Amino acid sequence: MAYLDLTIHEIHEALVAGKTTPRELAAEAIKRACEDQNNAFELIIDQDAMAIAESLAEPEPDNLLWGIPYVAKDNFSTKGYPTTASSNSLNGYVPLFDATVIAKLKQRKAILIGKMALDELAMGGTGTTGHRGTTYNPHDPRHERMIGGSSAGSAAAVAAAIVPFALGSDTGDSVRKPAGYAGLVGYKPSWGRISRYGLFAFAPSLDHVGVLARSVSDAAAIVEAIAGHDDLDATSAMIANPKGLPQLEGDVRGLRVAVIGEIVNSPHHPIIKSKFEEILKGLTEAGAVVERVHMRRDLLDAIYPIYITISCAEATSNDANLDGIKFGPSFWGDTYEQAMLKARTNGFSELIKRRFIIGSFALMRENRDMLFVRAQKGRRLIVEALNEIYKTHDLIIVPAAPNVAPRFVDGSDKLSEEYLIADNHLVLGNFAGLPSMTVPIGLKDGLPFGLNVMGRAFEEATVVNAALAVERLTGLKNLRAEGGVAR
Amino acid sequence: MDKITISMLKKAAKAILLDMSASEYEVLAQEFDILLRQMDLIGNIKGIDDTVPMTFPFEAATSWMRPDEPVPPEPASDILKNAGTTLADQIKVPKVVG
Repeated sequence: MAYLDLTIHEIHEALVAGKTTPRELAAEAIKRACEDQNNAFELIIDQDAMAIAESLAEPEPDNLLWGIPYVAKDNFSTKGYPTTASSNSLNGYVPLFDATVIAKLKQRKAILIGKMALDELAMGGTGTTGHRGTTYNPHDPRHERMIGGSSAGSAAAVAAAIVPFALGSDTGDSVRKPAGYAGLVGYKPSWGRISRYGLFAFAPSLDHVGVLARSVSDAAAIVEAIAGHDDLDATSAMIANPKGLPQLEGDVRGLRVAVIGEIVNSPHHPIIKSKFEEILKGLTEAGAVVERVHMRRDLLDAIYPIYITISCAEATSNDANLDGIKFGPSFWGDTYEQAMLKARTNGFSELIKRRFIIGSFALMRENRDMLFVRAQKGRRLIVEALNEIYKTHDLIIVPAAPNVAPRFVDGSDKLSEEYLIADNHLVLGNFAGLPSMTVPIGLKDGLPFGLNVMGRAFEEATVVNAALAVERLTGLKNLRAEGGVAR
Repeated sequence: MDKITISMLKKAAKAILLDMSASEYEVLAQEFDILLRQMDLIGNIKGIDDTVPMTFPFEAATSWMRPDEPVPPEPASDILKNAGTTLADQIKVPKVVG
């Protein structure tokens, strides 16, 4: 039996029952990683992973992650292993410490078998801009459709059942968007719930650690393992980490669910709209109170421009340390400015340079109030509008994306309602730091699509419970792409 | 906002020690045409100028202090492995002061 095709909870049962071993699992995961057809990996960690697997002798029934192989996006610091964030500017960089989440998973005896490709420096949503080229969607063996990003490799590895879970990061929708395109559960809890120590910063006011898995319960269990206050992260929350979420029953009786009408009514494929309405009906029959609510159109239209302005500006500042002096490929010059200019000009791809220049432009003295500060003001108004909805409702549920994974050749009108609202609304969860989970709800021509559940800050239990109810309604648990066919 | 010129973009690039080719600046200028129209949408928000900027999702008060425990530093040799040019146990950079 191919145990890697199972969920974490099922693999754990097999490990405890002695039906398989960490060694067998790690060997199979590494074999599958070596056979990967989707350009998902930055690095395969084979020898060390096997050594750790072989050292795990006695199963730990109370430790769900004991001996479970996993992968991490290549923007998490891993001691002793190259970590590039898929950018040439970091080629050869080897961190001297583990990110807190990597250390926690090591402590739980999960086995890291690979570092995964991403959009360069996590600044993209297509999985096409990493320095190793495009990452493909395992559900499309013709390699015509994107998996989304920026946690592209992480999503591809879980969808292809190379591993049962992966770490990702989410600044706009970088875990939850690819989860939707890959038929996975993509989950980021509240801002501050999981330590970001050792995660390469993109836009710290928006950055979250997130996870990708093939069931709601698995995703909740991983978050339970890696969440909690961390003295090493000054933005880490002091609020107690909730326990027992993976064991919730999906009971939605009495839950008040808001559906933002303007988002649902923006352009979506009819199959997605129809399936979404079917799920809402199912939740209503299960006892939830589902209601349409309104959000001001002027706020929704501004979601993407606010995101691009804030994220590019913060990134411009954060990534000033990528200068080719302390780490990364080095270029000499007559002055230190020349050395840095050469390193940065040669180290970043054109897209990233454009993003940095957008950020720099928004931060220039003459533009700052009109662009950056105004975007921060718009963010506040949007967050206030969301909080108004949460005064009367426990959750907001909306489709995760307007369509299935787009083709690489598909263009989009960057001023259209579809682009500005339907394609980019998941960043609402980053603006407000809310727990947010994407769950698969259907397939169109074999390609998955999902919906998103978003709750109040630090009320993860409500989100997990509702997501479990959705999973039960669809039966789409442990969805995998086997030979390009969703199973 | 006024129309974006290549020289404005070069100024923004220079401020963060970056450069691009002429054709790359052209592409960026075209992107800015759309971007500024998107940014106009922020200006269209009712009440935008009467609002306080939001810098983080919510207040995350940290009234605690870390214990002042000494931690052994990483060996200089390990740190220097990531630097391109080194001299003795230091990172070598071009001369800053003449």
